[in-house]
Amino acid sequence: MSEVRFRNPGWAGNTGEFDLSEADVRGTEYVGERVLDGGHPSVSPSLPYMFVEKDPDAPLFEGPYRERFDKIRSRYPTARAALLPALNLAQELRGHISPETMDEVAGLLGLSDAYVRGVATFYTMYNKRPVGRFLIQVCTNISCNLCGADEVLEAFLEHTGTELGQTSSDGNFTVVEAECLAACGFPTCVQINSRYFEDVSADDVPAVLDRLKREVNRGF
Amino acid sequence: MAYPYRHDRETRMLSECFGDPAARTVAGWKAVGGYEGIARALEIGREATIEDVKASGLRGRGGAGFPTGLKWSFMPKNSARPHYLLCNADESEPGTFKDREIIRWTPHQLIEGCLVGSYAIGASHCYIYLRGEFFESTNVLARAVEEAYADGLVGKDILGSGVDIDITLHVGAGAYICGEETGLMNSLEGRRGEPRIKPPFPAAVGAFGMPSTINNVETLAAAAHIARHGGEWYRQWGTEKSPGTKLFCVSGHVNKPGNYEFPLGFPLMELIEDVCGGIRDGNALKAVIPGGSSVPIMSAEDCHGCTLCYEGVEAAGSMLGCASVIVMDETSDIVKQVRRMAHFYAHESCGQCTPCREGTTWATRILQRIEDGRGTEDDLNTLIEISEQMTGTTICVLSDSLAMPIISSIEKFREDYLALIRRGERVGAA
Repeated sequence: MSEVRFRNPGWAGNTGEFDLSEADVRGTEYVGERVLDGGHPSVSPSLPYMFVEKDPDAPLFEGPYRERFDKIRSRYPTARAALLPALNLAQELRGHISPETMDEVAGLLGLSDAYVRGVATFYTMYNKRPVGRFLIQVCTNISCNLCGADEVLEAFLEHTGTELGQTSSDGNFTVVEAECLAACGFPTCVQINSRYFEDVSADDVPAVLDRLKREVNRGF
Repeated sequence: MAYPYRHDRETRMLSECFGDPAARTVAGWKAVGGYEGIARALEIGREATIEDVKASGLRGRGGAGFPTGLKWSFMPKNSARPHYLLCNADESEPGTFKDREIIRWTPHQLIEGCLVGSYAIGASHCYIYLRGEFFESTNVLARAVEEAYADGLVGKDILGSGVDIDITLHVGAGAYICGEETGLMNSLEGRRGEPRIKPPFPAAVGAFGMPSTINNVETLAAAAHIARHGGEWYRQWGTEKSPGTKLFCVSGHVNKPGNYEFPLGFPLMELIEDVCGGIRDGNALKAVIPGGSSVPIMSAEDCHGCTLCYEGVEAAGSMLGCASVIVMDETSDIVKQVRRMAHFYAHESCGQCTPCREGTTWATRILQRIEDGRGTEDDLNTLIEISEQMTGTTICVLSDSLAMPIISSIEKFREDYLALIRRGERVGAA
């Protein structure tokens, strides 16, 4: 099994050319263990993750998630402003935002169902349908496109055996096209769940997928 | 070798610590003089801090280039209403990748900038609006904010000054338009990210109806340094109209893409040929987009003699924007890239204004038709006509941002379009 060659620490790891580790680049040591209760209230609205395993029936919100929800609400002068962070939280738990989830969040914040649906459907990152364990978002915007992003997208579709936006039969992968991810110097940039993989070429794709399969148990 | 390509000729101020994991911590940031800026600001007072930033000539790094000190001075004085500082970290202009680097390598640089800005405009709460895709860099910033709170740098009575400044990280959920300042305010308030009609301007009625100022990440980071060293110090770099240093995000067909920091006024061709190691495979230059996808495309001819400052790029017929230099070599398919941009703007249009909602979609369809070899010469006139109707007719400038690349590409690369139309095949396609 070939390792992904990391040519540039803008993306993720063992590079021959640069002397930074993947942890250095991602800042994982500095960040440390993630906390479900949202940590200090100042940062509680900012920490949604994308878990590999989702629970579409998870309650909104209990335990540490309720704590995080309460902390989020404490940071804004209006209940409405907690809407995006609350939807993020719901998606972290459930993996996608169904119309029913939208209604539940509306109830929690005292907003109308129609209002919340209007807002939730405005934003691309709320998955309106269930996605695979790994949501693979390939940037095909200009800088990546100039450097072969269309071929990278093709390679992901081919090696996962999926159509654009569909989930593979084993439930592992959903591949979609993304707009600019702000990593234009390291094309092609691919966001996989909450991580960026940068400088990915079409040839790297099988190795990236192998790595993901090995990491299924890592959690996110 | 250190973190991505550096160059001896760079003037590294904002980017000094990029690639150094030790600089992420409060201690690491203090070791390089961090948090001296806010300490000095608290000492000299609000008015003097604004005067410093005015004197520095710092212009907004988010794209528009509006003078930062002047923007801060618009905020009401002696008002009992809460004021807000909003930091725009919704970096989503295609070609731009500087703010993420500041956030993930030097989070305290941004926090210090937010403190300086908040203090100057009398805000007791600063919201940093991060794009939702930045999970990893947001986590780094979140840890840094927690550290700063624990250290008494943020929160109640910062640095024992009696001044309270809170910071809250807020993440978006994937919408380019939330990088527009009033769209950002709506999104922060839990609404659809639709831009608002101005006036009223944010300094009068902003987030939550209160006086607000919105600054880009790089602007605030620079303000932290200006607060530390004073306004005149900053003017040692750059030009009269464009003082200071700037991160240039170079992407596309160069050998060494990346973020390079130079004084404004640096020659574009030297950036491409010397700093970035030239064009890949020794190819010839075809076109450059100097400021992110929303500005007019420059031909290779336009690039010679062009200097990278606000007035220099304008003289060359384009705009500096956020200095995101997208380089295209001779093999580039201009029509395909313009079509891809049009697709982006059509996807990101919020849909409030008809010229934008309809125009971006029409333009995408026509460009696709031309790319597929089914276009006519008259389509080019239609594209220009639509683009003209998309300019200056909408609440925000999203539709203008597509009109500019379309009009400029037809002007400068008409032959590429005509070749597709006449022969149904692409010029230069690999």
